[in-house]
Formats: sequence, structure tokens, C-alpha cells
Amino acid sequence: MRPFFHLLRLWLIQLRYAATRELAFRANFFVWVIVELSWFVLQLAFVDVVYQHVDSIAGWSRPQMIVLVATNQLIQQIFTAFLMPGLVKLPELVRDGKLDFVLLKPAPPQFLISTSQLEIGPLANALIAIVVVVFALQELHITPSLPSILLYGLLIVAGLLTHYALLLALVSLTFWIVQAESVLLGYYSIFQVARLPREAATGWFRIFFTFALPLLLVANIPAATLLHGFQIGPILLFLLTCLTAALFASLFFRIGLRRYQSASS
Amino acid sequence: MITSLTALPTVFSIGLQRQLAYRWNYLLRALFSAMPLLVSWVFWSAVFQGKETVGPYTLASLLTYYAVLLVVESVSSPADDDFQISREIREGTLNSILLRPLPYGLYRGALFLSGRCAYLVAALIPLALSFFLLSRVIPLQLGSLDLARGIPALLGSALLQFSLTLCLSLTSFWLLDISALIFLVYSLEFLAGGHVFPLDLLPPTLFQFAQLLPFAYEYWFPAATLCGSISHSAWLFGISMQSGWALFFILLAHFLWQAGLRKYTAAGG
Repeated sequence: MRPFFHLLRLWLIQLRYAATRELAFRANFFVWVIVELSWFVLQLAFVDVVYQHVDSIAGWSRPQMIVLVATNQLIQQIFTAFLMPGLVKLPELVRDGKLDFVLLKPAPPQFLISTSQLEIGPLANALIAIVVVVFALQELHITPSLPSILLYGLLIVAGLLTHYALLLALVSLTFWIVQAESVLLGYYSIFQVARLPREAATGWFRIFFTFALPLLLVANIPAATLLHGFQIGPILLFLLTCLTAALFASLFFRIGLRRYQSASS
Repeated sequence: MITSLTALPTVFSIGLQRQLAYRWNYLLRALFSAMPLLVSWVFWSAVFQGKETVGPYTLASLLTYYAVLLVVESVSSPADDDFQISREIREGTLNSILLRPLPYGLYRGALFLSGRCAYLVAALIPLALSFFLLSRVIPLQLGSLDLARGIPALLGSALLQFSLTLCLSLTSFWLLDISALIFLVYSLEFLAGGHVFPLDLLPPTLFQFAQLLPFAYEYWFPAATLCGSISHSAWLFGISMQSGWALFFILLAHFLWQAGLRKYTAAGG
């Protein structure tokens, strides 16, 4: 238990340092809130346009789809605030040889890289996503119970772990490819799957994105928990697959790290 | 001026070599570019369940639109030209370019062209493969593309996107970090440009309004023209709007460049 608290303390120190750095550029904070918000509005506008032509998509009504999209946004924004900024810096660290400074520190390198940065702007957008979820639930006349809300919170953490696993695996490619900036584009491209209703997918697509890369579960399972209540099977499947994905990604990172050669003299 | 134009093929060649130096990065980018088509197929198949048409589209014609959109994006969308220009201004590497007897816009234009050519080559196989696989499930209507009217619209889109990118990048003379501005415009391009859905799925008033903005002529107009879903009079209107917006952004870029240079301070060796 002691190592866990040690890492938690380290993370809090890193967060405090990163927050101080972020708050030095207040205007930047507001600008990025608007930018991220515009992408969320884009997704909601898309839902609105499609539902002008149909009443239901794969059994999901318009407000249900909004719960799904907003849940996806919530997970995405928390991930963008806490873990993503550090991970996307890895290609640059490897290319410039600055990873040396991370490796010299007495803490796991994966942990240090993942938690070194913080973006405060996305947290404001995460709050907006929660408000949208609440409004959509009101439209559906659903008042979730406290256990449902707590379970929703736990599943959001599982969603974060899935995002983390995929991006960690993608940025670890940088140990093999010199310029791996495209992986970020890959991350955004692949995560479009998370916004799809699970019932819309069929065949190999559904199997692959449920068991191998559980993207169809990331936002679907938390949203379904709020909408339809506790469903043990899908929840256990989600927890199992996201943990497996995280373990594989961590292993891939370690294999890549062995290839690292400092770029400096 | 004529002498400086003869340097353009060399700039193009250097740009091409620079792009190919990071071919894995390009290949990854091209591979991931097919992903939105796959997602569109799954999503729209569910939307069309029990329905023959949605707006003016059948499932096959809508997926053809998304497939053509990928080609339009490959040919006409700048990759990271905006960030490159911004870095040149911010870090002062613009100094060495200013000393050359070559207009900056043309220099960047040649690099933009080389980037598009390299990307198109890298994207060719993943795109062809995804079209082939998708056409086994849905009869894509790629055989009947309107190339005579589509290619001018495609080239116009490349010119429009390049000139808009140039304008955004040149704000680096005044702004420390332009990434927020760029991502904000990206989101507008995606929504109002017909990247997320074809613009003719919008309610009529919004559709008419979208056609007044430049974004519609970046993606929707060339893609819809290639798909053959635009009447001749609408095409003439579109090509005029596209040229007009491109000219506007070229003039704006010229003005920003002149004003920016007056503010620019070259420091360091």
C-alpha cells in the first residue's frame, strides 16, 4: 500500500506544479474551453441533424443518444485534462533524448510520463458534458439512484483506463518510428467508434471493438447504466477488457522502452 | 519574378524528400484516414435500417459521398503546413527564407503541393483497399464520378484550403500560439464544410446559409460535385463562390504578410 500512496503523493505534486504553470496563461484557458466546446457542439449538431430524419438509431432515441455522446465527451475531457497531455509528449521526449531525465528519476517512467502535465480547460468542458447528461435524463424523465450514479462514476474510470491503454500503445510506437506525431490522429480516428451505439455494430466489427479493443463499451456501458440500470454481464466484460487492454499497453511500452537510446552525447 | 519561379520545382523536390523522410508517419496517417469511413458505414447502416432514403440519399450514395470525401481530403487538405509556418515565424527560421529571391506564398505553395503528392501516394493503397472492401458490402457508386466538373472543384478546394491556412498561420506575427485558432477553424470546417455529414441533410434555411460560407467549398462542394449530385447551375454558382473565397483569402494573406513583416523582428544568427 505504501508505494501506492507514494505515487499518489507524487501525482498530486506534479498536478500542483502543472496547474501553476497552466494558470500563468489564463487567456489560453478560456480560448481552449471555447475550442473544445465547439467540437462538442459539433457532435450534438450531428445528432440533431440525423434525428431530423429518423426517430431511432439502433434502438436509441435522440435524448438517449445525447446521453451517450455526452458521456463519451465527459470521459474524453477528463482524459484530456489529466493523462493525455503527458502521453502525447513522449514522441518528442524520445526524439530529443530528453527521456533521459525521466529515466533518471526514482519513480516508474510510465507513471512520470503519464502524469507530468495537466490541462485545466477540459475540466470545464467535462462539467458542461455532465450538465448535458442531466438535461437529457430529465427529457427522458429518468432520475438515477445513488448506486447508479456511483457505478456510472466507476465505469467512467474504466473508460479512462481504455483511453489510456490505447493512447499509451500508440505513443509507444515512437520507440520504433522516429516521427510518430500521426498517432494522435490515429487516436482520434479510432475513438470515433466510442460514440457509436453498441447495437449499431454487427459482425466482426462488434466482436473486435468489444473484446480486442473495447471501444464500443467505453461510453455505451456507463450510458446504458444510467438509462437502463445495473447490468452485471456487460459491466464485468467492460472491466475485464479494459484491464487487459491496460496491461497489454503497459507491456508494449516496456518492450519499446528497452529499445530507447539516448539522442544526446 | 520569372527567375524565382524556376526555383519552384526545386522547392517542390526538397519538400517531397522532407515528407518521404518520415514515411512511416505518413503511412500511419494514411492508414488511420480510412477509419472514419468504417465508422460512417456502421453508423449510417443503423440509421438506414428499415428506410430506403434519408434526405436525398440512399445508403450507397451516402457512403459514396464519405468515400469521395476521403479523396478530397487527401488531395486538398493541408497537413501541418499551418504549424510549420507558425514555427518559422515564431522561431525566426523565416529569416533564411526572407533572404531568398522567392515570394513566400509561392514557396509555401510548392511545399503544400509536395506534401499533398506524398500523402496521396501513401494514402493510395489504404484508400483503395478500404473502397474495395466496402464495395463488397455496399455498391459504392465510384464508377460514375463526374470528373469533368469534379476536378476543377477539387483543385479549387486545394487553393481555398491553402489560402485559408496561410491566413491563419500568418496571425503568428501577432499571436504567441495559434493552435487554439486553428482547432476552432477545424471544427467549423468539419461542421459547416460537410465533413461530418453532407450539407444537404441540413434544414433548407441552414443549407442555404452554409453555402454562403467558405467552408462548404472545402469539402462538401467538391465531394458532391464528384458524386454528381449537383445541378449545372448550382455547380456554376459553387465554382464562382469557391473562386471568390479563394481570391479573398489570397488577398487577405497578402495583406497579413505585408503587415506582419513590418512587425517582424529577426533576432539571432
